[in-house]
Amino acid sequence: MLLFAAGCKIDNYPAPDAQLYGTFLDAETNEPVEQDIIRGSTIEYIEHGYTSQTKQVMIVKNDGTYRNNLIFANQYTITPVRGNFVPTEPQEVTVAGETKLDFKVQPYIRLKDAKIEKSGSKVIATFKIQQTVINNVRKIGLYAHPEPSVGEPMRTVLSEMEINGAADPNKVYQLEIDIPSNSNNLKTGNQYFFRVGAVIDAPESKFNYAKAVRLAL
Amino acid sequence: MKLTKHIFMLLVLLTAISCDNVLDKQPLDKLQGENLFSNPEGVKLYMANLYYQLPVEDFTFFRQGFNWNTGDPNNGGFAPAMITDEAVHTEFGDFIGNDDFQWWDQGYKLIRDTNILIDIIPTLDVSEDETKALVGESAFIRAYAYFALAKRYGGVPLITAVQKYEGDVEALKVPRSTEKETWDFVLKECDTAIANLADSWPGGERRATKWVAYALKSRAALHAASLAKYGERAPISGTAVDQKLVGLEKSAAAEYYKAAIEASEAIISSGKFALYKPSPASPEEAAENYRKLFEDPNIAPTEAIFIKGYARPGSGTGHNYGIWFQPNQTANGWPHPGRMNPTLDLIDAYESYTNPGQSAPVTTTVAGNDVSDYNGFDPAKNYKRYDDPAGIYKDKDARLWATAILPGTAWKGQKIIIQAGFVKPDGNAQLFGGEPIKVGSATIYPFGAADRTQYSGFDTWGGNNTRTGVSFKKFLNEGVNVAPGWNQTVSDWADFRYAEILLNYAEAIAESGTGTAAKGAQALNDIRRRAGHTKDIPLTIDNVVRERRVELAFENKRFWDLIRRREYHTLFNNRVRHALIPVLDLRVTPAKYIFIRQNIARLNPATFDYKNYYRYVPGIGANGLVQNPQY
Repeated sequence: MLLFAAGCKIDNYPAPDAQLYGTFLDAETNEPVEQDIIRGSTIEYIEHGYTSQTKQVMIVKNDGTYRNNLIFANQYTITPVRGNFVPTEPQEVTVAGETKLDFKVQPYIRLKDAKIEKSGSKVIATFKIQQTVINNVRKIGLYAHPEPSVGEPMRTVLSEMEINGAADPNKVYQLEIDIPSNSNNLKTGNQYFFRVGAVIDAPESKFNYAKAVRLAL
Repeated sequence: MKLTKHIFMLLVLLTAISCDNVLDKQPLDKLQGENLFSNPEGVKLYMANLYYQLPVEDFTFFRQGFNWNTGDPNNGGFAPAMITDEAVHTEFGDFIGNDDFQWWDQGYKLIRDTNILIDIIPTLDVSEDETKALVGESAFIRAYAYFALAKRYGGVPLITAVQKYEGDVEALKVPRSTEKETWDFVLKECDTAIANLADSWPGGERRATKWVAYALKSRAALHAASLAKYGERAPISGTAVDQKLVGLEKSAAAEYYKAAIEASEAIISSGKFALYKPSPASPEEAAENYRKLFEDPNIAPTEAIFIKGYARPGSGTGHNYGIWFQPNQTANGWPHPGRMNPTLDLIDAYESYTNPGQSAPVTTTVAGNDVSDYNGFDPAKNYKRYDDPAGIYKDKDARLWATAILPGTAWKGQKIIIQAGFVKPDGNAQLFGGEPIKVGSATIYPFGAADRTQYSGFDTWGGNNTRTGVSFKKFLNEGVNVAPGWNQTVSDWADFRYAEILLNYAEAIAESGTGTAAKGAQALNDIRRRAGHTKDIPLTIDNVVRERRVELAFENKRFWDLIRRREYHTLFNNRVRHALIPVLDLRVTPAKYIFIRQNIARLNPATFDYKNYYRYVPGIGANGLVQNPQY
């Protein structure tokens, strides 16, 4: 009886009842910074009050938002890491109830005036890229997938171009995907999502993107 | 009150028992530690157990560990090659997971067992020569163990003497050394082994010699050198990186390449080793020589530097290559053969005798400009047609013929039939199943024969038929019908062979730009010569890497090559692996075979993440060690 009672007591912690959410925002334009849901930018957070200092991780949706609805109300040290933006400092945050925490970041690259259209038997993307740091732009790419979370890590078809240099902000870059030569993955009559991205040459950097576009082929 | 009384009585009882001498009695059927080491035969016995624990990446090694031939050895026929571009499993689509390729507890157990011996060597009553041999052997085993740890975890705790628990757990916790210190320790242990071990053992026992220790050093130094040179291809961050527990400075590459060159050179210039049958008269002869070398490495004592033997069928003494990897037609009663499916990606890498010095991707059409088209059958294409279902492989490197069973070739007296379907006379393709059709008076079966015991390809039944278009041959013994049960295969494994040393040597020279380039080129071309090539090629990094892929295919080297050269995340970024499917073309009479390059059916793309370059350190809650990045 005694053992049972003790056992119950120790398990009787309250469930996590706080929520933490927010958006990665471009510090200059205040627009959301597009992300990848898998192998994209991550948010590391350490809950205070424990010696283990275990890092927990949140991932980010493609539109740059994130949300954790099952987090304990407490003090946290929160750091966005391995992202597509200039690394930021850790912040001490008190999470209680509905807590909103936006990250103002400097994306490595902004993709401007992106247009993705079907033209004949091709999908053609045009865009400009504006880099915010002096590192080289490593490569640019056009990615396609049946799901809206399309990106470099999640694609069935791609067309990439190595840049390995500084990007000219006035140049219009063009990438195209030939539909018939990808008939395995791009079937006429179906809808697919297309997205253009660019990655900077920095350790652990992730792709920056324009918004995904849905096209019927 | 009554309860208290009972507990008290129990305590009295326990105390009474522990006073009795019953716990101090010696078992009559087991040797005590002191007795074991007081007798040279006992030391030998102990040594045999250390060798058994060596992390040899042989037939019984796969993602869950070593010596997978005891207890329940059923791993579904999953081999390390299937996590690389060498092969896929017939059914499983698994790629690398966090828990794969761990070797922590077992590693430190072996190290502790070795340290027990090392501590006791000075007290043994044996001759000076025997002492030297023991010092050398235990250093070799420790080097082997720490190498296995370093390539998984980076820097690890270096435990160099037996730890004793004296009431303070904290005192037993040894922090991780840096990755640099760990690799240096591995090489230093190799040097101790080299300095103390003899040329050979009097009875030819399969124990470490000076040359085996050199071979280990050659392999380990090349691994460390590549990590130093290419680590920046896959940058990672975190506490372990800040403390240098993982990662090597680029500048360290030079000393490690130098060590690899010198260790390899010692073996090469010893005059004791040579390639098995180095100059065959024809590619056919080369293929047969190469096949036999793996069927039984004991026939090549000058090439097989270190062999792990499988003495007899049974738990712990046999292995399971002979049942899992036979083509379906020669299953010999085993319910799930055919599980190793070599990929087109590997097949492409083999050179052609007509155009030596480069990979020769298989061209399936007359135009020959569509090797990157994996969209399947296209009736508009002008496919090359063959009478012989292996005709498309003509002129490909002999080693392909000895590594894979190609469609229509003979194996164990049978013609191995691998066919994915047919193109009907009306021009429509019927692939991967369906009903047979009649053409004239003949019945044409989709998989090439009427009964499922008569073919070896593409039928999904039982997961027993290749889905890449070829079956597996290397290591299989053509002359032996392996009984359909666990651990019945008894072929031996060449852990180090001379060809690997030559390739280590060539790679270290090419990568470092030091050493004698001409000798590196000769090492590379000697291996090619043995495979039936007659034109020499220059020593370049690409040439060495390709040669390694084909010469050492399925020897469980590719996984570590991709890791040490930091090529995994580039080659496995949504990687789709490919098949070359033979299809009977009924549009012509008589029917001929065409081949289609396409994605392997029912297989997801695979991606290798940066963090996978290091395994996670188990048990950090208890051992207090710094975890590897992103775990």
